[in-house]
Amino acid sequence: MSSDRAMIEVRNLTVDYIGENSVARAVNGIDFDIREGEAFGLAGESGCGKSTVAFALARLTRLPGLVSGGQVRLNGEDVLNFDKARLKAYRWNEVSFVFQSAMNALNPVIPVSEQIMDVIQTHKPELGQQGARERAVELFELVGIPPRRLDDFPHQFSGGMRQRICIAIALALNPKLIIMDEPTTALDVVVQRDIIEQIVELKSRLGFSVLFITHDLGLMIEFCDRIGVMYSGELVEVAPAESILTNPQHPYTRALGNSFPPLTGPRVRLEGIAGTPPDLRALPQGCRFAPRCPHAMDQCRVQPPELRYYPQHRSEAACHLLN
Amino acid sequence: MVFLLRRLAFYVAALFVAITLNFFIPRLMPGDPSARIIASFQGRLNEAQVEAIRKSYGLTGSLWEQYVTYLGSVARLDFGISTVQFPEPTASLLFYGATWTLVLVGIAIFFAFIIGSMMGIHAAWNRGRFFDSVFTPINVMLNAFTPAVVALLLFYAFSLQLKWFPLGRAHDPSLMPGFDLQFIGSVLYHATLPVLSIFLVSFGGWHLGMRNVMINLLNEDFVILARAKGLSDRRVRYRYVARNAILPQITSLALSVGFLLGGALVTEQVFNYPGLGKFTFTAIQSRDFSFIQGQLLLLTMSVLVANLLSDIANVILDPRLRKG
Amino acid sequence: MSDIIQAKPFSLTEALDREAMASMAPSQAELMEELRVKPKPGWTSRLPPSLAAFVTNPKGMAGVVILLALVLFSVFGPMMSDYNPNRRAGKPHVAPGYEHVLGTTRMGKDVFTQLAYGGRISLTVGFGAGIAAALIGLAIGISAGYFGGRVDDVLTFFVNVILVLPGLPLIIVIATLVEQASPLVIGVVLALTGWGWPARTIRTQTLTLRTREFVLSAELMGERKWRIVLKEIFPNMLSFFVGGLVLGTIAAILAEAALEFIGLGDPNAVTWGTMLFWAQSNMALQSGAWWEIWPPAFAIMVTGAALVLVNFAVDEITNPQLKAGRKISLIRKFLKRRGRSADVF
Repeated sequence: MSSDRAMIEVRNLTVDYIGENSVARAVNGIDFDIREGEAFGLAGESGCGKSTVAFALARLTRLPGLVSGGQVRLNGEDVLNFDKARLKAYRWNEVSFVFQSAMNALNPVIPVSEQIMDVIQTHKPELGQQGARERAVELFELVGIPPRRLDDFPHQFSGGMRQRICIAIALALNPKLIIMDEPTTALDVVVQRDIIEQIVELKSRLGFSVLFITHDLGLMIEFCDRIGVMYSGELVEVAPAESILTNPQHPYTRALGNSFPPLTGPRVRLEGIAGTPPDLRALPQGCRFAPRCPHAMDQCRVQPPELRYYPQHRSEAACHLLN
Repeated sequence: MVFLLRRLAFYVAALFVAITLNFFIPRLMPGDPSARIIASFQGRLNEAQVEAIRKSYGLTGSLWEQYVTYLGSVARLDFGISTVQFPEPTASLLFYGATWTLVLVGIAIFFAFIIGSMMGIHAAWNRGRFFDSVFTPINVMLNAFTPAVVALLLFYAFSLQLKWFPLGRAHDPSLMPGFDLQFIGSVLYHATLPVLSIFLVSFGGWHLGMRNVMINLLNEDFVILARAKGLSDRRVRYRYVARNAILPQITSLALSVGFLLGGALVTEQVFNYPGLGKFTFTAIQSRDFSFIQGQLLLLTMSVLVANLLSDIANVILDPRLRKG
Repeated sequence: MSDIIQAKPFSLTEALDREAMASMAPSQAELMEELRVKPKPGWTSRLPPSLAAFVTNPKGMAGVVILLALVLFSVFGPMMSDYNPNRRAGKPHVAPGYEHVLGTTRMGKDVFTQLAYGGRISLTVGFGAGIAAALIGLAIGISAGYFGGRVDDVLTFFVNVILVLPGLPLIIVIATLVEQASPLVIGVVLALTGWGWPARTIRTQTLTLRTREFVLSAELMGERKWRIVLKEIFPNMLSFFVGGLVLGTIAAILAEAALEFIGLGDPNAVTWGTMLFWAQSNMALQSGAWWEIWPPAFAIMVTGAALVLVNFAVDEITNPQLKAGRKISLIRKFLKRRGRSADVF
């Protein structure tokens, strides 16, 4: 399904939030690749920087956020250096976005048809009004919504339907990568199932890559090929989805896995992670997880570990315990 | 429709409250208006004449009877007889003045709303940059310079010193009112400074309102999505952000009508403009209560009509209000 | 060949440098320096957060300093003058000079003395009415938002009525009936008609707070309602209360000036509004006595401007989003220096 060729290479990506009296480093020099046709997941507690990474990839970082360093390479070009024209072409043609709350992702005062057609007409003016509308009908059919409802307004649809419309919009230009930031969190469980199944089906049919973000680790493991676990703005482990649960290398991954109930089998007691993530404005000197880590050693408190590949586990992890 | 009917019911209720207030305020105060008139004749009136004067003020009979009579006359838009411009009915004076005030306030609101909102859109879009950090505070401060002061400044500079604009009146007195270019030109010429001074103290409010609503909307997912789609800046700015930000602005526009009409009162006084304000000023000086009460009712009605219009505009512009 | 290389906007090594610079992020400390982010001054650490945010806000503090100067001027100004504001102090319309710093009025009263005395009354009426309106708004807004149901319906109806009643015309009706409205009467009437906006904002805020965890848990613990209102809700309303107070004060000062200017006030009271009234009725402008009219006009303008500055600061505290763009120019520079497209949003 997925090839090994990297489509997007993220190198040393650093994002800061410029506060009134301080600078919070939300993402601290992270590296990872998203391969062609792959579903790559970013997991972690809220506030760990996973959405910030997604926004930086799509060049959507907003004030007071600032991508203060690093590269996001797409076929050798640095996305962060794109000028206006190149950026316009990059947006939606190459990367599209599905948001958490479909209620807020659609402009409440203009009809849905306009919100699909405007992106088509912006990027493919040659299609004209008629062509754009035909494509919109096609997209509605693709996600299973009757095209006669094209001219309705967002509030006239149910939550699940709105999210399908958002997916239809995301597919409008056949992008190579779709970023999905908690796409099903706001929906009830049954609808959530339907939507995920639909995404899986569309993905295998159309072959796009997905950057999938959710705090629901079970869902992520089911859906993704590889998963990166973030803690306090850093990637602590990147591994194939199945080994995140069965063979976690980093103590934080293990703790995160333990705090989710498995989808099948007997229910185990939820094991929360004691303590809170560090203050991003004043970070600890060594490993950021050390203060909460049950296995922390002296070295962990002085020297930050680096993300390294461990072939025997087929995973990358950043932990002194593994050496 | 349900929404509009609910609002309409509220406006009727609010009008009723205003009429009732208008009825009770003078009656709760020590010494009713007629007493002063009667006293001014220093006892030269006989019983029947006193009674006639009290009757003309609707002050005879029980409170309840007076109230019913009052409601009846308000319904017939009968506000009594003016004591200053005797025997002109107050209503015709009110409507004459209101016409000119409407010219001033109408033109001023139109420009203030459009220009202020455009500036607010620009400031929000370029927030933190030069235009926003310099003109946002300045425009809003203009808003807090009382209409009296701004009007005086303009009057002093352009009418008295530079003599570019006239010292008063709504049009050249030698012209006959009519729909010809010369008359309309004269009206606009005389209205320029008053309109400008109302404009100056009001556009900052629209600037700030639009800017703040826009800035809050910039964080909405649908705006981020619009940007992610690679739509042109213009389209995101107007079709996605400003299109939503205008809705609360229209509501405050209607609510501000009362404030602006109040401000026009002062402006007309400075520019000697024959609008409602000027008449109210004369009415205050001669304690012409029927006029003063009439202007409150008339202005309340205009505010309510403005609010109803804004509700209709909101229903047209916001599909969410149309359901049910 | 070398010419061609030099003709490029920058050399290859420079381009590589910029690329290296772009991919290496500066440390947080370096970033703070480059974007001129200053750490919180130590002395604010003991203050509650919103107060600390206010005292470090340049606009807000500028406004407060101007207001303080105006207050000090009205408190101590009269002591620097030998004249009585109500009495003839010299010839009519004497131009500003040594004897009369700001000249005299048509009646020969000293303008400086009147200005200082007038400030006492105008500021007291303005702030008094503003505070009273904000207090009424607070009480009604919290009650409507917190108790909900029938109470909310009734209170919201009155809030909406007060909002659609045109303020100034209503005040005119009342002020005309009491013959000459003393500053106290004007203040009371302004307070009674000005509480609509603060009540509305505070009601909305209370509605969002009511479902918050700390309020719900206090309810579960059986806390009395009025204690929840005082201990849990009121502290969170403080900045909205101050916002309402500032806007109310602006409105009251403007309305007071307008009422007195059109002759509804007590013409014997010395306030900035009556000073304008006398100047206008004595045709001060037409007769060239600009000093009779500009000092009170200027005082009202400065007061309004200072209050607007304070309101900006309060807005930025209640709505932090408004401040997000503060560093935009420096952020653009930061990106341009690294050869990055500076499309900052």
